[in-house]
Amino acid sequence: MLNLVALILLFPLIGSAMNGLFGRRLRKESIGYIACGAIGLSFFISVLVFIGLLLLPPEERIFEKHLFSWIQSGSFNAAVGFQVDPLSSLMILIVTGVGFLIHIYSMGYMHDDKGYHRYFSYLNLFTFSMLLLVLSNNFLLMFVGWEAVGLCSYLLIGFWFEKKSASDAAKKAFVVNRVGDFGFALGIMLIFLTFHSIDFTEVFNAASHGEFAIGNITITLITLLLFMGAAGKSAQIPLYTWLPDAMEGPTPVSALIHAATMVTAGVYMIARCNVLYMLSPFTMTVVASIGATTALFAASIGLMQNDIKRVLAYSTISQLGYMFLACGVGAFTAGIFHLMTHAFFKALLFLGSGSVIHALSGEQDMRKMGGLKNHIPITYKTFLIGTVAIAGIPPFAGFFSKDEILLEAFVRGNVIYWSIGAFAAFLTAFYMFRLLFMTFHGESRVDPHVKEHLHESPRNMTIPLIILAGLSIIGGFWGLPGASALNHFLSPVFGGHGHNEMHGVEAGAHHGIGLPSLMMVVSTLIAIGGIWLAYQMYVKKQELPKKLAERFALPYRILYNKYYVDEIYDAIFVNPVKKISVQLWKKVDAMMIDGSVNGVARFVTGTSNIFRFLQTGYVRNYAFYIVVGCIFILILTTWLNK
Amino acid sequence: MPNTSIMTFNILSILPVLILAGFGMMVLVVDVLSSRKMGEKNFLAYLSLIGVVIAAFLSKNFTGTTLFSFYGAYTIDNYSLFFQFVFLLCAGLTILISKNYVQRENINYGEYYTLILFSTIGMILMASGADLLNIFIGLEIMSISIYILVGMKRTRLTSNEASLKYFLLGAFSTGFLLYGIALVYGATGTISLRQIAVFIAGKGGVLDPLLLAGMGLIIVGIGFKIASAPFHAWVPDVYEGAPTAITAFMAVGPKAAGFAAFLRIFFIAFGQVHQDWEKIIWILAVLTMTTGNIIALIQTNIKRMLAYSSIAHAGYLLIALVAANNMSVSAILFYLLAYLFMNIGAFAIVIVISQKEDSFLKISDFSGLAYKHPRLAIAMTLFLLSMAGIPPTAGFVGKFYIFSSAIKSGYVLLAIIGVINSVIAVFYYLRVTVAMYMRGPEREFQPLTLSPFIFVAIIISIIGTIQLGIFPAKVLEIAQRSILLLR
Amino acid sequence: MEPYLFYVMAATSVVAALYLIFEKNPVFCALYLVFSFINIAVLYVLLEAQFIAAVQVIVYTGAIMVLFLFVIMLLMVDVKKKQKDDLPFQRIPAMVMGFVLLVVMGLAIKSKLFQGREGEYTSAKVESIGHTQLIGKLLFTDYLLPFEMTSILLFVAVIGAIILAKRKV
Repeated sequence: MLNLVALILLFPLIGSAMNGLFGRRLRKESIGYIACGAIGLSFFISVLVFIGLLLLPPEERIFEKHLFSWIQSGSFNAAVGFQVDPLSSLMILIVTGVGFLIHIYSMGYMHDDKGYHRYFSYLNLFTFSMLLLVLSNNFLLMFVGWEAVGLCSYLLIGFWFEKKSASDAAKKAFVVNRVGDFGFALGIMLIFLTFHSIDFTEVFNAASHGEFAIGNITITLITLLLFMGAAGKSAQIPLYTWLPDAMEGPTPVSALIHAATMVTAGVYMIARCNVLYMLSPFTMTVVASIGATTALFAASIGLMQNDIKRVLAYSTISQLGYMFLACGVGAFTAGIFHLMTHAFFKALLFLGSGSVIHALSGEQDMRKMGGLKNHIPITYKTFLIGTVAIAGIPPFAGFFSKDEILLEAFVRGNVIYWSIGAFAAFLTAFYMFRLLFMTFHGESRVDPHVKEHLHESPRNMTIPLIILAGLSIIGGFWGLPGASALNHFLSPVFGGHGHNEMHGVEAGAHHGIGLPSLMMVVSTLIAIGGIWLAYQMYVKKQELPKKLAERFALPYRILYNKYYVDEIYDAIFVNPVKKISVQLWKKVDAMMIDGSVNGVARFVTGTSNIFRFLQTGYVRNYAFYIVVGCIFILILTTWLNK
Repeated sequence: MPNTSIMTFNILSILPVLILAGFGMMVLVVDVLSSRKMGEKNFLAYLSLIGVVIAAFLSKNFTGTTLFSFYGAYTIDNYSLFFQFVFLLCAGLTILISKNYVQRENINYGEYYTLILFSTIGMILMASGADLLNIFIGLEIMSISIYILVGMKRTRLTSNEASLKYFLLGAFSTGFLLYGIALVYGATGTISLRQIAVFIAGKGGVLDPLLLAGMGLIIVGIGFKIASAPFHAWVPDVYEGAPTAITAFMAVGPKAAGFAAFLRIFFIAFGQVHQDWEKIIWILAVLTMTTGNIIALIQTNIKRMLAYSSIAHAGYLLIALVAANNMSVSAILFYLLAYLFMNIGAFAIVIVISQKEDSFLKISDFSGLAYKHPRLAIAMTLFLLSMAGIPPTAGFVGKFYIFSSAIKSGYVLLAIIGVINSVIAVFYYLRVTVAMYMRGPEREFQPLTLSPFIFVAIIISIIGTIQLGIFPAKVLEIAQRSILLLR
Repeated sequence: MEPYLFYVMAATSVVAALYLIFEKNPVFCALYLVFSFINIAVLYVLLEAQFIAAVQVIVYTGAIMVLFLFVIMLLMVDVKKKQKDDLPFQRIPAMVMGFVLLVVMGLAIKSKLFQGREGEYTSAKVESIGHTQLIGKLLFTDYLLPFEMTSILLFVAVIGAIILAKRKV
């Protein structure tokens, strides 16, 4: 069954090509069926591959499918091959599974859009690229997938490119990601120079066989460069600014790309390179610190946002921060666990918000919502489940994964990591319930015109919501502390260091038997605290937020304006570059226009003065150049021969 | 040195050439005999296409064999067969993109196809010639055919002008080549490439001034054909004036043939005195790439832009020539094949987009193409990206191998200059893409009249570009096998 | 006697060539060219290249130049009309460069920098086989392919002449 792995990629590619090339002539139903069918088949094969992997004994659970050598030159061998192991098999399940649900949802959500076939073509292409990223067995192919998902993300953020904000957001995402990708590319080059290979197995084997001491400078540099790429793709400080703007894309895109899959690629990559990262404590500290800081920072911005999708975007950044925190303290399993549960509940939340937006005919401002719970009951109930899951209330999925991260941060890291994480968890519970209360509870602040058209979404949108809600409830049980099936499953990838059994036991011995249980109670209390505060402020005493905002005007303004980071970046990086490029553009333009006005002969149309001078159009001049060249060569031959 | 006794008069060895010549003349005769109107003589294209296909099959039969026929004047080895394949493919694709174009432009003469076939003969001779005389005659057949093809569109002034310019400068440069050959003969007493190598080896690898001057003049003569700077000035004018299908043909065919001859002469005859010519070619390569790319940046006419881009591509190919290792030969073979697909593909789309009398050839005329004809825009984007060398296209792999071969031989600076140049090149290729996707249409696009012929040509080019980009290994292996006998 | 003959013929052919350049009447120009060619043919004979001498006379002077004369007469070029000099400023540099070229060539010959090499067919060998026989044999053995391919070259040239000069467009 494992041999089928190439098919997983093939179906979305075919779907994308069919819709892209012939979509214009197809009926909408067919377009949707082709796209969903492609992902559905891909999901089916993924399940088969997953089962095939489970049937193998744990230590043999690694399967490499070499398709062909792409470029071979000396020791450099860039192969196209796939690697199925517990980590990648889990990822393909998430990508195709969640992707499938989102595709179905999109059929309803995008139904009236004129770019229907374009949308599905891009979406399938994205799925293909993401699968390429997670399945590749070497760094170069991973980078190809990495760039391809970036491209799809760019295309989908700017899907409504007629809207200036959308095309601007797309450009921003593209540029910011280039910064990260540059680091990633350099990292790959450095890996090749160091290991003379870019194959995962060879590189990791070489790294784990003690050739490199812990703290090796080269390895530290490599991991830092790779992390630069990861920070760009996974929207970590300081490269996170593109993600909130990316919400200009269609909401299912936000759910698929900017919540469930693509943005987690950075976490996946670091987990994949865990062998390298474990060799560099310094990088690990950097990763953990940036993760923790991002978790808190983004959560604090999320407190004051009024756009429903932006709140979710900051929440995504914050949750990604948790995953990096987990990786940074060496708890890769916890990171991947949270990646999985986050994919479920964040996709659910985004799709739910999409359903709300759909119901309100495109309204995204939470100040113009409220009291929706009776109008769109299914959306409300599923959204509630998602909110509870992200807030971290047991036994929902988010509780277990977040709790594990906090526990690991405490045990392997230090109290600071834990307290930052815990505080961010408190904020998360608060802003998520603020969102829930503002949207679904209280008095309706909906525009009367819109209110007339309030409707629950069609079935093909609600069913994915229900399934995702189910996954958000049960998804956590796979990684139950103590008897974690996930730990066990992922242990071949993360070797001895990735899972917490050993440390957990040690920790238990050190800090008393009840540490994990104690942590659970504490994090539950934290979550409940956040919910309580939100309830107080947004249901009980609705005048309180305003008063607080007036009282603490400065902090409020700073948070509301997202710490002015965009403005600072604009002032430091964007504007100077823009000025230079505008100047350049003006000069070039002036030259070109000038040229075409003055260019009497057509030979000189649009060429600058120097080249106009040389490209006279006269044969005698051309012959003269030949003679000059000839003399030059003859002089060279004799001169070099001396 | 192969024994003289086996160098027999083997007429079968030039069978592809004979077939091409036979079909060329048949086309002429059939054209005259037919009473149909000029625009309706579809069979001219069919007939010449059949000729090309038969020739290709016959030349495929030789795969793996090595023989010297006509008393050592004509070589068949994998190297020349690879080039034969490139030339025949080039001719075939040109005929495919020509059929409707010549009918539209009222130049559907039998001579048009005959000359394409004859110039292919010239190219084959250049790639197979084992002595300077054969190479020279091949070059002349090829060049004269193309001078005429360029001026085929007699009612248009630019076409006449281009033809005359090309002819005058071509004759001028041929003079250099012939003079160079004469000097080499005078110095060594032979025109056979292998004998020249033997002579140079006998002298201990030191060239006397006469031979050096001859070598320099040969560089000039062939440098003109492959459009290397500073012998490139004719390229933009001629490419712009020539009928577009012929521009596509001459951007690939003569360049490939020129490199075929270049490689044979400089690797076989002058292989031992690499140090005497590598610096010259080094300078030419840098000059060619840079000139081509920089001037291409400010072009507004797509044909002129592609002309400068073709100059730049010649520069990249020269890099591999400088490197002069086995890898560089296969890199050149691979790159030429890749260039064949992407270049003819791009010109095919230019033909589709342009209208009667070769109007609408400005880059701005491509604005908004993506909205009106999205598939054409995608195809054009693919070809342009490939020319820019962006993975996973053929152009990327080709550039990769060329630069690696340079690095392998220690020409790191040259490789760096090449990479910088390909970065510059991205700008002007992207300009067309940006115009197609990000600007509104500036004109009314005519409804598409995509004939099956040009459609097939575009599809073949697309498949070639992608195939060589994603699965290069197989072709590269063939290319690597094609170099064994060269040294 | 041979050296004297060489100098006389060489001098005459150079003088004829100079007349060819400075003569205004195209018919006379062509005739001077014929004269120059014949002188060169004699030089070939002196080099024991009788075949080439014959070809020189038959093909160049006999066929091509006569054709030239016909064309000139048919076109009836106006002799009196003075051509405007488009590039007056090139006159002096051209003279200087021509002189420099002459000097360089003279120096090169004098320094014996360019030493040719005696090929396979020495004059003794040629004499023993016979000049025309040898050329014939070589053309149909060693140089068969280029010889035959030249026919295609000529054919292409004919096509070109017809298609580019055909009256009806």
